[in-house]
Amino acid sequence: MMEVFKAVTCPVCACLCDDLEVTVDKGKIVDVKNGCAFSKSKLLNYNGKQRVLKPLIRKGNDFAEVSYDEAVKQAAKLLTEANYPLFYGWSMTSCEAIRVGIELAEEIGGVIDTTSTICHGPSTLGIQDVGLVSSTLGQVRHRADLIIYWGSNPLIAHPRHMERYTVFSKGRFQEKRKLVVVDVRETETAKKADLFIRIEPNKDFEVLQALRVLIRDDELDVEKVAGIPVATLEKLAEMMVECKFGALFFGSGLTMTEGKNRNVDAAISLIRDLNRITKFIIMPMRGHFNVTGADMVFTWQTGFPYAVDFSMGYPRYNPGETSAIDILLRQESDAALVVASDPVATLPRKAAEHLVKNPLIVVDPHMSATAKLADIVLPSTFVGIEAKGTAYRMDNVPLPLKKIVEPPTGILSDEDILSKILFEVRRLKENAS
Amino acid sequence: MISLQLKNSLKFPVTAKCISPDALQDKSLEEIEKLKIWVGNKKKELRELFKIEIRGSEREVIHVYGDLTKVRGIGAEMTMGELTIHGNTGMHLGEEMKGGKIIVYGNTGDWTGSMMKNGTIEIYGNTGNYLGAPYRGLDKGMSGGKIIVHGNVKNEAGAYMQNGIIRVYGSAGQFAGLRMKDGTIYIQKKCGERVGANMRGGKIIVQGFLKSVLPTFTIEDLRDKVKIENEEIIKEPFYLFLGDLAEDGKGKLYISKKKNPHLNFYEKFLEGEKIE
Repeated sequence: MMEVFKAVTCPVCACLCDDLEVTVDKGKIVDVKNGCAFSKSKLLNYNGKQRVLKPLIRKGNDFAEVSYDEAVKQAAKLLTEANYPLFYGWSMTSCEAIRVGIELAEEIGGVIDTTSTICHGPSTLGIQDVGLVSSTLGQVRHRADLIIYWGSNPLIAHPRHMERYTVFSKGRFQEKRKLVVVDVRETETAKKADLFIRIEPNKDFEVLQALRVLIRDDELDVEKVAGIPVATLEKLAEMMVECKFGALFFGSGLTMTEGKNRNVDAAISLIRDLNRITKFIIMPMRGHFNVTGADMVFTWQTGFPYAVDFSMGYPRYNPGETSAIDILLRQESDAALVVASDPVATLPRKAAEHLVKNPLIVVDPHMSATAKLADIVLPSTFVGIEAKGTAYRMDNVPLPLKKIVEPPTGILSDEDILSKILFEVRRLKENAS
Repeated sequence: MISLQLKNSLKFPVTAKCISPDALQDKSLEEIEKLKIWVGNKKKELRELFKIEIRGSEREVIHVYGDLTKVRGIGAEMTMGELTIHGNTGMHLGEEMKGGKIIVYGNTGDWTGSMMKNGTIEIYGNTGNYLGAPYRGLDKGMSGGKIIVHGNVKNEAGAYMQNGIIRVYGSAGQFAGLRMKDGTIYIQKKCGERVGANMRGGKIIVQGFLKSVLPTFTIEDLRDKVKIENEEIIKEPFYLFLGDLAEDGKGKLYISKKKNPHLNFYEKFLEGEKIE
């Protein structure tokens, strides 16, 4: 019999659209309504050929199928013996699983880091330096009359962001809004903009600082900034000053270009300055569906949002020193547990090389690039499809992830697998003492 | 004199704030050997890593030998004495140092002299990012003392500087003197862009090449000399910029005219002033 699940939260990007209608027939998802192309693709095809259905342990060039108990025992042993293990990933699983992961990292004395480290980590650093003026997406939808996307291309990366919250949405108090896009190339989003400013690559900092001066009606000694005539920037400054409620959304185009956290620092400072004149908010366009949740759980458990080092028994935080890529590039770690992420496909090559050179344990539903090079693979369920949990939207609003279908027989959730490893680690430590 | 010789090369990060004259001067050889340090997530004794010797009576003079790239926090919070490192060191060297002298015949890591309050650090090699800068989220960096680097520095040297002097005889990365309030930074060779970003006060002197000045700095003058410290004066023409306007700053940025002919378009603003 067909069953329709309503108000399903989409487990793809940090927009966490919670209006999906998913039809299930004989334990299989057969239709998805309201979702974007990413959402439909994941929900209809998640259970494909790449699915891992048995825990695996490396034997030479091949994997041997083993029981969960055996794989967990081996994983716990590798992690307990390590001198400086790394716990990486976390952005595509539930807050509940992340909580257990942090407990495990603390028990072992390792470094735990999320994928923030390669995308919006600099945003966090910028926020810690100068604060953040923000709001929920609901406020933006109902009240904003000026939307700016800076180094971000939502039409491609967050397909329903504009439809649900900004220029294509109809708010209660605000139906029409102006769109400004600042980018280094004419993106799909830029084509829809009322004002598109194409700046020279790696010059975001200069433009943001110049705007901070221009919104005060002060003058600059130069005629162009980042290849843009000052007159054009004055036009943007005027739009910013004259709006009633502005919202600036920024992506990795700002956080991962030259200047990094200082670009975000400049952007937030601009918004802070603007709030002396009008109402303006700023928000990072977070990527994976629960990367915001990972920051949240990390913060409430350890006091720090990512890159937390437990090696001396208490949490320490210093990105650059305790962040995953830096540790891997300095070749300091000697084992790793990767959960809900694919670092071999996303980290710099030298970092990935060091990661796979040492004992590597992967918890993932798929045979990802990282899993293929792992020593132990622990298959897990898909959170938001086969397991329930909690995730945080990019504006820090928590939403429930639903269980819609049953997982393949015997497959455990991330939370259960991590709890088993934690239990085994504690048993090993007790025996040793 | 106390000498520490590293026995084997290190793989995991080591935190050794105990290597400082303050911590070692009153201790016997046996006590020093049994000092606890963290190697990765395991606690070890200092003697497991170093061969330790005491010679003569000068207990506040320490010499350390070996590649200490993985060793962090050497000389942290030291108040007196002399610490000489014959080799490279890791991060946080001389963090929050209050007095004494550190000499390094090698390179140092990031956050060297972080938030130092007084004393001197002299580095004969290169150093990393955040020289003298505070740790994450704090807004007060180096507040006194002197750092001399004979090689190059990476990004954000002297960030959030409150006072003191940094002299770099090599080149510097981006954002030197970021958000500084007071003090002096001197860079002899090439300087990365965004120098003085968000500075509110203080002085930065760039004697080498600088690709561009931030648009939020305004030209003030063309000077024929500039003073580094005390009686030390460089006699050559320097452009003087004021900024950072984005922060209503009154920081001074001196840029060599000789090495930067591409900045001569700023001179038109100065000529205009003279006509008035």
